[in-house]
Amino acid sequence: AMAGVGGGNDFQWCFSQVKGAIDEDVAEADIISTVEFNYSGELLATGDKGGRVVIFQREQESKNRPLSRGEYNVYSTFQSHEPEFDYLKSLEIEEKINKIRWLPQQNAAHFLLSTNDKTIKLWKISERDKRAEGYNLKDEDGRLRDPFRITTLRVPVLMPMDLMVEASPRRIFANAHTYHINSISVNSDHETYLSADDLRINLWHLEITDRSFNIVDIKPANMEELTEVITAAECHPHQCNVFVYSSSKGTIRLCDMRAAALCDRHSKFFEEPEDPSSRSFFSEIISSISDVKFSHSGRYMMTRDYLSVKVWDLNMENRPVETYQVHEYLRSKLCSLYENDCIFDKFECCWNGSDSAIMTGSYNNFFRMFDRNTRRDITLEASRENSKPRAMLKPRKVCTGGKRKKDEISVDSLDFNKKILHTAWHPKENVIAVAATNNLYIFQDKIN
Amino acid sequence: MEYKVEAHRIMSISLGKIYNSRVQRGGIKLHKNLLVSLVLRSARQVYLSDYYAGVCLNAQHIEAKEWELMDADREKLIPASERHVGAEDGRASRLQEKDGDSLDPSDVAVTSPVSPAISETQCGSSDCETDADAAVTEGDSRQPPKDHACSHRKRSAEETGVSETPVKRTKVTPNAIVANNEIEEGEEMDTSNVSNLITIFGSGFSGLLSKDSAKSESETDDSDSGSGQICCEQMLKNLNPWTTAIVAF
Repeated sequence: AMAGVGGGNDFQWCFSQVKGAIDEDVAEADIISTVEFNYSGELLATGDKGGRVVIFQREQESKNRPLSRGEYNVYSTFQSHEPEFDYLKSLEIEEKINKIRWLPQQNAAHFLLSTNDKTIKLWKISERDKRAEGYNLKDEDGRLRDPFRITTLRVPVLMPMDLMVEASPRRIFANAHTYHINSISVNSDHETYLSADDLRINLWHLEITDRSFNIVDIKPANMEELTEVITAAECHPHQCNVFVYSSSKGTIRLCDMRAAALCDRHSKFFEEPEDPSSRSFFSEIISSISDVKFSHSGRYMMTRDYLSVKVWDLNMENRPVETYQVHEYLRSKLCSLYENDCIFDKFECCWNGSDSAIMTGSYNNFFRMFDRNTRRDITLEASRENSKPRAMLKPRKVCTGGKRKKDEISVDSLDFNKKILHTAWHPKENVIAVAATNNLYIFQDKIN
Repeated sequence: MEYKVEAHRIMSISLGKIYNSRVQRGGIKLHKNLLVSLVLRSARQVYLSDYYAGVCLNAQHIEAKEWELMDADREKLIPASERHVGAEDGRASRLQEKDGDSLDPSDVAVTSPVSPAISETQCGSSDCETDADAAVTEGDSRQPPKDHACSHRKRSAEETGVSETPVKRTKVTPNAIVANNEIEEGEEMDTSNVSNLITIFGSGFSGLLSKDSAKSESETDDSDSGSGQICCEQMLKNLNPWTTAIVAF
């Protein structure tokens, strides 16, 4: 009964692929820190703590092998960011890739933005499958020929070669953020993008690297008065003058760039009144929003806080229209989760292509999907134990009290080191990518 | 009673996190430290309010009252919102007028092992009125009993780090102008208030936490033979700027 989440009643999630080392010992640099499909879903990019970007490309479906429906294979790998040390400030800058965002494709090449804490880079990924041969002045290994030996003139010819995918940095947007960058978002005008750190949001033009416009600044004159920080920001998918940013206090502000140069005053303010009966030492932490995402339609937005996902109608500011509990059973464990730092984990969330379903991660390599129409939800696990090709994923259940049924897992048995923070949903199909520490799982629906 | 212990424990965990954040790779994370400081403030409010509730009334009366409050307001806790700052500031200023007899170092609970050593027999009669008020306002601020499971858990490394390591004087990062910085303001991440907070607790809390006042004496500049008492006073006197210093990362 639970299997119908995500698009239809006959729906069933199946294992497709897993990428990454099998080794139990996880190298910190291999931990995936961001996952993003491009606009067509043909490419899937991951960034990791070691500053590397790996791009997977979906194989064209072949009539000869109808069962291997579009597998993702490595397309390009490159080192996007390196660790830096600012000697004057005595500050080490991590190379971890915080976010990757694709640009819409305009020609044969692909472009993406990748960012660490301080610097955003625009990368061009292009294919080379031909090479010019038959030069006059140099021979095949590139060495210059002796001019006196050249007796004839010929025109070099383009010959096919093994496909080579090149990634080159086209722009570097640096030195604009004093605090740690948490978000980047490409604008619908395809010319500008925004970047947000804890206290400021800047607007860039993709062609211009030596300056940006500061459009939000919440830094108080006296830092002692600081009460909240910016946690995420995103451009509206259709209205290039609108963007939102979320805060550590659980609020979202929608801003209109036409209203003023500096968007410190919001156009809309989204906040749900707090339930006083659920107050604890950790109320503030768990209300901090870790991710905000517009729906594809642009009519709704979704926010993720520690225990729940909320869907907001942009026309209603005083409360969300839908609230989904991700792992409410953790509410009684907040003290322990504070101790082991898990309470600070920043979970992301995503919409499916039609905005009918949403997905987010949890612990124990569990991830959750919610169908907005049927109100059904499902918990699945990304695990090597269930990684036979096209194996159907069995719904998982956490036992919250009382007698534990067979196949259920008790809250105390959950592995809090296995956290799924980053997930992505193909923009058009029911294909999902789930990052489990250093492994990337790809699941597809069974319908075919 | 258990709430005090729990609040105290959360305070020391929080301080440990703040302290460790200074050596974390990638620099101080403003967001995390802000959240930790909010937890620290909430725990401190509970801790101090609980404490003074204990000091004002005799032991039996306290326990009866606490159990009563627990039953009645089982699910409610101190809101850590700004509106209580005024109340606590008022309380702080009233406390400053006293002779600092309210906190005896031997009465303060030690973090490891957790032992509710706070004596509840002390009573400065002049404290009673004001602090009874405070106790009432804070009366609906009790952590749900279900969180008490936490107190029996194994200590994290961060906690033991706080109570065992000598408190070092923090190095203030020089506000040097970055030559390579192309932006006009040459701004640096403002973390000078982190030093302030650590400094205050460096001298104040070590006196509170450590039974070996001799050890803490040698490590901290501001302590003397009555280190615990004086450091508590110092902490209380600094309540106003301290409240703001918490959030000022």
